[in-house]
Amino acid sequence: MSQTENADAEDATDATAVTANRTDGRRASTTAGETVEETRPEWTSYEASGETKVAVEDLDVHYGDDHALKGVSMDIPEESVTALIGPSGCGKSTYLRCLNRMNDRIRAASVDGTVELDGEDVYQDGVDLVELRKRVGMVFQSPNPFPKSIRENVSYGPRKHGDIETGLLARLTGRAEPEREARLVERSLERAALWEEVNDRLDDNALGLSGGQQQRLCIARCLAVDPEVILMDEPASALDPIATAKIEDLIEDLAQDYTVVVVTHSMQQAARVSDQTAVFLTGGELVEYDDTEKIFENPESQRVEDYVSGKFG
Amino acid sequence: MSRATQTALVRDDRTTYEAAAGAAVGLSGVAFVVGLAALVGAVEIGDPVAGVELSVALGAVLLALGLAVVGFGVASRLGFVDAAPQPSAGVVAAVAFTAIWFAAGVTAAGAAGIGTVGRLGVGTVLGGGAFAVTALPREDVGSTVPAGAVAVLCGLALVTGVVGPGWERALAGYNATLFGDTVVPAVVLFASLATGWSAAKAYGGFGARGRNVGAYVLIYLVVGSILAVLVGLVAFVTAKGLPGLLNGVGVGGETLVRWPFLTNGAGLLADVAGVFPALVGTVWLVIGAVLFAVPTGVGAAVFLSEYAEQGRFTGAVEVATNGLWSTPSIVFGLFGAAFLIPRFGNQKSLIAGMLTLGFMLLPLVLITSREAILAVPDEYRDASAALGVSKWQTIRSVVLPAAIPGVTTGVILGVGRIAGETAPILLTMGGGVLPAKSAAPNVLSGFRLSASPPFVSNPALLEATSALPYQLYALITAGLSGNIRNPQEYAWGLALTLLLVVLAFYAVGIATRYYFRRKLHQ
Ligand SMILES: Nc1ncnc2c1ncn2[C@@H]1O[C@H](COP(=O)(O)OP(=O)(O)OP(=O)(O)O)[C@@H](O)[C@H]1O
Ligand SMILES: [Mg+2]
Repeated sequence: MSQTENADAEDATDATAVTANRTDGRRASTTAGETVEETRPEWTSYEASGETKVAVEDLDVHYGDDHALKGVSMDIPEESVTALIGPSGCGKSTYLRCLNRMNDRIRAASVDGTVELDGEDVYQDGVDLVELRKRVGMVFQSPNPFPKSIRENVSYGPRKHGDIETGLLARLTGRAEPEREARLVERSLERAALWEEVNDRLDDNALGLSGGQQQRLCIARCLAVDPEVILMDEPASALDPIATAKIEDLIEDLAQDYTVVVVTHSMQQAARVSDQTAVFLTGGELVEYDDTEKIFENPESQRVEDYVSGKFG
Repeated sequence: MSRATQTALVRDDRTTYEAAAGAAVGLSGVAFVVGLAALVGAVEIGDPVAGVELSVALGAVLLALGLAVVGFGVASRLGFVDAAPQPSAGVVAAVAFTAIWFAAGVTAAGAAGIGTVGRLGVGTVLGGGAFAVTALPREDVGSTVPAGAVAVLCGLALVTGVVGPGWERALAGYNATLFGDTVVPAVVLFASLATGWSAAKAYGGFGARGRNVGAYVLIYLVVGSILAVLVGLVAFVTAKGLPGLLNGVGVGGETLVRWPFLTNGAGLLADVAGVFPALVGTVWLVIGAVLFAVPTGVGAAVFLSEYAEQGRFTGAVEVATNGLWSTPSIVFGLFGAAFLIPRFGNQKSLIAGMLTLGFMLLPLVLITSREAILAVPDEYRDASAALGVSKWQTIRSVVLPAAIPGVTTGVILGVGRIAGETAPILLTMGGGVLPAKSAAPNVLSGFRLSASPPFVSNPALLEATSALPYQLYALITAGLSGNIRNPQEYAWGLALTLLLVVLAFYAVGIATRYYFRRKLHQ
């Protein structure tokens, strides 16, 4: 990597990138004694084996004048786990939010490029956001349970979608399905590795759970809606090794039927659970996207090699 | 580990100095309470205490406190005690003592018969001196000597009887006279506040800890006196009103409980005159106003904070609602009289009163609901949206439940205001001075269905109805006479009933809020 060109480009476009990452990056590249490294298109033109579920083409995101994602193109294959890694502030969460159009809710954000879900452009006019988000679920970076009971948190989505009827009217007309709801709650919590801890206090307020429990509750809440694509933003950041292992098992498990995209700061986690890995680097560019094995054992980019081996960021 | 390092964290050895300062704080508190009691008339300053008049005894206490406080400061300054004073007592204390001493100087000079210019001169000299004595020396002197001197001065005035029970002074230029039984308590209150604060600082060893203790004592004394005034007010109304309210109460007979004051009208035939029509009128009035204002107010708040683009429009609405909330109630009354009454049968009616009060309540409900909705964290909305839930469902099932406690607070405050409103009722609802039982509105069974528009009618809503505050007002302007046995007792009973009705509405509101808070947090 160059000291001049790349660093200048970063300065010009990403004012917030004044972090330790870049200084480390500089040191790493000087010790590696390298010359200019340009991002080559073929490093990201990975063709996955399966069907493409989500196709992203030339995605640019600006927050006001801040260019947070630069021309990202990547195809996410169906029924697999895709890991997104990269230093803090490189645009991983921004990328995830483009896939279910949660960026629409941020006033300053503007998105260019196309995102296709099963070949349908999600950014075209007339897209039903409610329907899109039912199909593309999301677990946020910071846990955000509702101030309701644990049970209500999990069954919230299905109830509002009318998949489970629990209202007064349903109860009066005998259409309420308490057993179905109970089964759904139990299954979702079990998959999120939380059932054991909370099965005796499902009616307690979710805000009384610990941070790690809240994180798993949010996963369970997302699973209960049964989306096709699940976006997870650091789902294990507040978890101990045992719960982390359970979540990793869950992710691998989910890949049987779902398309999972997971952001993580743990290289080991990315290596363990994912089929393919995308590496974003500071400045909002996708540097390399390939089979996870390839990324961790023999990446094309020197910067990616530095990053995954811990010399960078 | 040495003993010295232990005591830095745990101060378990209480010195004589601290004990003395603590006693002075306690004594100041007692003097303050006695002063307060004398001010509200619970004790007389002429009452004998230990062989002397109360005012002389209080003077002696102030004198002793003042000397003690000065002693604390001097002892600390001379290094007899282990204190941590700062270089100066600070500008705030200096300004406060300047004001106190200026006032003391002007008053004393006035009492000595010096002219206006001379008075101001004396005041300025004393005020300047107090500023210098407070601000310039070290904190232990600066925050004790001016306070102690104030107490000594006041104490001397009381002990020597310069100001005492029989004292009075006509204020030149005003049509008013000061009497000893208000001036003495006021002097005691001020002086004991000063010595209490000062002794508390000495107790804490001055410095940061001393200021902390001093602030606590000041705050407790002031808050305590405010509470005392509130409790005194309620106790006063209760004491005056209970005989009327409880007149003829009994258990058994035809009904389980007999409470004629609340269940009777004021007719000639009633053995005990009661306030039933006005009580029912007030209850229906508040219910009607709340039923009108809460749905509209909350709906408008939802629109303004969730749907409308934040900008000039919402800003203008906000200014308008704030303005409406501060509009005098008589203006709302006029609006009701000129706009609503012609539309509801051209006479004063219950529904006109309900709507007028509803319009009064609306801005507060709107403002507080809006604040409460904006205070709901965006994370909840994001979480709900990401689950594929529509905006309206999100508002209904996440945002509004989280906002209910705030909305309830607004409704509680608003109901407190409108339940006691007299002017709008006077203009829109009317009702008699002493309505008979038959004048009570019969809203529930008054609904009539009909085949032609408007299909539902309720004559009870269209009749002039009395309400408690209006009846009280009408009774007083009518000169507390009429066909009842004891108008004084009746009026006070009415006042107490009004107080209790408002408190009951508060209780309902607070219980609601408590319920929903619990639901949100546990
Ligand atoms: N709501 C927002 N408004 C303005 N700028 C934003 C917003 N969200 C993110 N950004 C900017 O976009 C860039 C990418 O942020 P993003 O949250 O996508 O990073 P990230 O890779 O998820 O980082 P982390 O690993 O710390 O979560 C950052 O420079 C950030 O400052
Ligand atoms: Mg992130």
